[in-house]
Amino acid sequence: MIVAIVAVITFVLIHLAPGDPFSAVTDNPNVSETVRATLRAQYGLDRPLPEQFLRYAGALARGELGWSFSYERPVNEVLATALPNTLLLMGVALVGSFALGILIALIQVARRDSFTDHALSGISLFFFSMPDFWLAILTLLAFTYWLPIFPVGGAVDPVIHEYLSWGGRVLDRLQHLALPALTLTLLASATVARFQRAALLDVLPSDYIRTARLKGLTERQILRRHALRNALLPIISLIGLSFPALLTGAFFIEKVFAWPGMGFAVVSAIGTRDYPLVVGGVIIGSIMVALGSLLADLLYAWADPRLRGH
Amino acid sequence: MAAMRYTAILCALIAVGCTDAGSSSGGNTGGTLVISVGGDPGVLVPALVQSVQTAEVVDMIYDRLADVGDSLNILNDQGFTPRLADRWTWSADSLSIAFHLNPNAKWHDGLPVRSNDVRFTLASTKDSTLGSPAASVISNIDSVSTPDSATAVFWFHARSPQQFFDATYQLPIVPEHIWKTIPPSAWRASDAGRHPIGSGRYRFVRWVPRAVVEVAADTDNYRGRPKLNRVIWAISSDFQTAVTRFLSGEADFFEQLRPENLAEIPKHPELRTRPYKVLAYSFAQFNLRDPANHDRPHRLFGNRELRRALTMATDRAAIVRSLYDTLAVQALGPTLHVYPTTDPNLPQIPYDPARARQILDSLGWRMGPDSVRVRNGAPLRFTLSIPGTSQVRVRTAVLLQEQWRQVGVKVDVENLEFPALMEKDTRRTFDMVLGQWNTQPSPGAVLGSWGIQASRAKSGNNFGSYENPAFDANVDSALASFDPAERKAHFTKAYETIIQDAPAIWIAEPLAIAGYHSRLQLATLRPDAWWAHIPDWWIPADKRIPRDNAPSALPGGVASPTASSTAQPAGQKSP
Repeated sequence: MIVAIVAVITFVLIHLAPGDPFSAVTDNPNVSETVRATLRAQYGLDRPLPEQFLRYAGALARGELGWSFSYERPVNEVLATALPNTLLLMGVALVGSFALGILIALIQVARRDSFTDHALSGISLFFFSMPDFWLAILTLLAFTYWLPIFPVGGAVDPVIHEYLSWGGRVLDRLQHLALPALTLTLLASATVARFQRAALLDVLPSDYIRTARLKGLTERQILRRHALRNALLPIISLIGLSFPALLTGAFFIEKVFAWPGMGFAVVSAIGTRDYPLVVGGVIIGSIMVALGSLLADLLYAWADPRLRGH
Repeated sequence: MAAMRYTAILCALIAVGCTDAGSSSGGNTGGTLVISVGGDPGVLVPALVQSVQTAEVVDMIYDRLADVGDSLNILNDQGFTPRLADRWTWSADSLSIAFHLNPNAKWHDGLPVRSNDVRFTLASTKDSTLGSPAASVISNIDSVSTPDSATAVFWFHARSPQQFFDATYQLPIVPEHIWKTIPPSAWRASDAGRHPIGSGRYRFVRWVPRAVVEVAADTDNYRGRPKLNRVIWAISSDFQTAVTRFLSGEADFFEQLRPENLAEIPKHPELRTRPYKVLAYSFAQFNLRDPANHDRPHRLFGNRELRRALTMATDRAAIVRSLYDTLAVQALGPTLHVYPTTDPNLPQIPYDPARARQILDSLGWRMGPDSVRVRNGAPLRFTLSIPGTSQVRVRTAVLLQEQWRQVGVKVDVENLEFPALMEKDTRRTFDMVLGQWNTQPSPGAVLGSWGIQASRAKSGNNFGSYENPAFDANVDSALASFDPAERKAHFTKAYETIIQDAPAIWIAEPLAIAGYHSRLQLATLRPDAWWAHIPDWWIPADKRIPRDNAPSALPGGVASPTASSTAQPAGQKSP
């Protein structure tokens, strides 16, 4: 239901925005009025908006997301190509950021009020406040230009990927994935670390922690076995919230690293008034957010036995 | 260099190995050209080309009957070189031209190129259901007849100095046997538009959206094998990423560096730059009609003297120097220095702020208390609309704002995204707009943007609604004239008229700066199509790097050239 409402709102809003998909055509002084009219008619853009919506809804019912004006191919095909790249990037970044963030928080809490704690807090704050596009450009320049150890952009090497062995292709893909995934991981892990540190500090004064200490467990054992599991609940909520944030945050990362994912495809489609691609992307994005929330609920139940009966 | 090391490592992992396909062929053939570009091409159909990226790929794959020369002389057939047609014959009344097709010309699927293909190309381009941008500029061509399979006769409605140009430049030939079963209205969506078959010196290999387009040498092409084995467009979504790809060595060529990128080039001894002319001019356009009611003149710019005063208050030389340094020349008018029909000494409205103040005073615009001129209680104030994505235009707007402030004019700069700006243009709801026309080798295109018909058509491209019958008449006379001197004289009169009417302030003709790797041996970069001579670019065998020798995705890879494939067909000029 939420997905349907989001789709309707997006459809109306994007059609109300000034301009149309054929603005670029009008940049050519030789393009006549007849040509523009023909193009609009070919894509049904000369029909009243309610009729366009009904036709779109009919196609949607058949599982068709329409025709992308900017890619000159079906939206299903565009998104089917882009979605795996986005999921790969998001998946690596999600796992990486939560692992790194939790690790940082554990170190900070284990050495609370030490120089290490303050230094890691400062570093976390630095990445937390860093604009994503800025960090992406810095990473790009640092590791492809000043210290050139990674390829500049794309998901694979455009020249020779097709001719690599299986192992070579995997290596090639990993090398191209490294920088965008690192950038997203650094950005997201800062948030995770700050949340996790606060949650751990909240549970440390608890009675069961004091009991564990009295039993003679080391501070490391207490943190890993007792404090962490209870302090994970707010972080699990963060996973659900991270899906939309990563999806939109990935836009700039995908743009800077020429990563052929969904975020950049959809946001660029707004600029080119590629209506079907925008709506299709929003629908898929909404489904991903809903699935993210579901995943968070399941993880919550796993982490907190009290919720399993509900 | 790092990218080359990186490629070398990957080459070690290539399943079939980096065979030295290029160097084994020896001589000047072999190698891979990687071009870094900032966007995907559109559908690869010649009649539907709308972007430079698309034109670059399409022109590698498809051929015309003849091609315009580097001088861009489009008068009659002077300067044109044979392509699919190895010769042509004019009728006595010049109302038809018979093109004789090269008997060796073949499509990439092996079938011969025939006159039916030429007839089909014209008919489909003119088909209104296709929606080809070229349709309007070939309206003088009536039809093509095919007396035999090797002869295509173009019939024209009227004699025109440009009729040869219209029949060749605007019509890359497409294979009838591929397209005839697809209705023109479905060409954009067709698979054939994404896996094109042409007759050019490169054949299509692959297109991975937002990643790569690859073409490979057509080794037995009727015009001879191109020198490079492969041309690859590496696509980035972001300009800076595309530049970094070039600077880091992942790509060999970048078509248009910005001034701020040039400082990086000396740090890379292996990189070179080459400036070249492009067919573009920028301008600040006045709207001569009221944005709210197009039947009325604009409250300010309906007045010719006010437009001239603002032009006099504009130090165009300073703007061009500030924005481009030496990478542009001041625009003369709605024309280009590169056109043979342009007089480089066209009289201009001079930069004279003192005179501008006098004119504004005489029009009743008196300096108000806050240094903004006022007349009848209304300030001399308007909005300048610009696309925020263009840094050059943003900076131009700031400079104009400051220069006009000094004569008591207040300008509000409105920064819009491109579709919103285009909507303002087409609906003509702006006061003033910064624009640029990317035009064609024909100076006649000026009517499409400044002529009366383009002003009166509902969605015409004369957005400022400038109309002067004297201007149109002189352009028409120029276009109808077969005498170069007379043609130039008429164009000069037309340009003088529009310059003095000041429907726009003509700002700059930018030069483009290509960046390339020093191992590449370039040919001429043509102003209308820098890529036109790519088939003649080459990489010396001793300067090749690992990626030059990666095999092609074509079945069997790129074959080594044979004596027969490199030979020029009899009677054909060298490309």
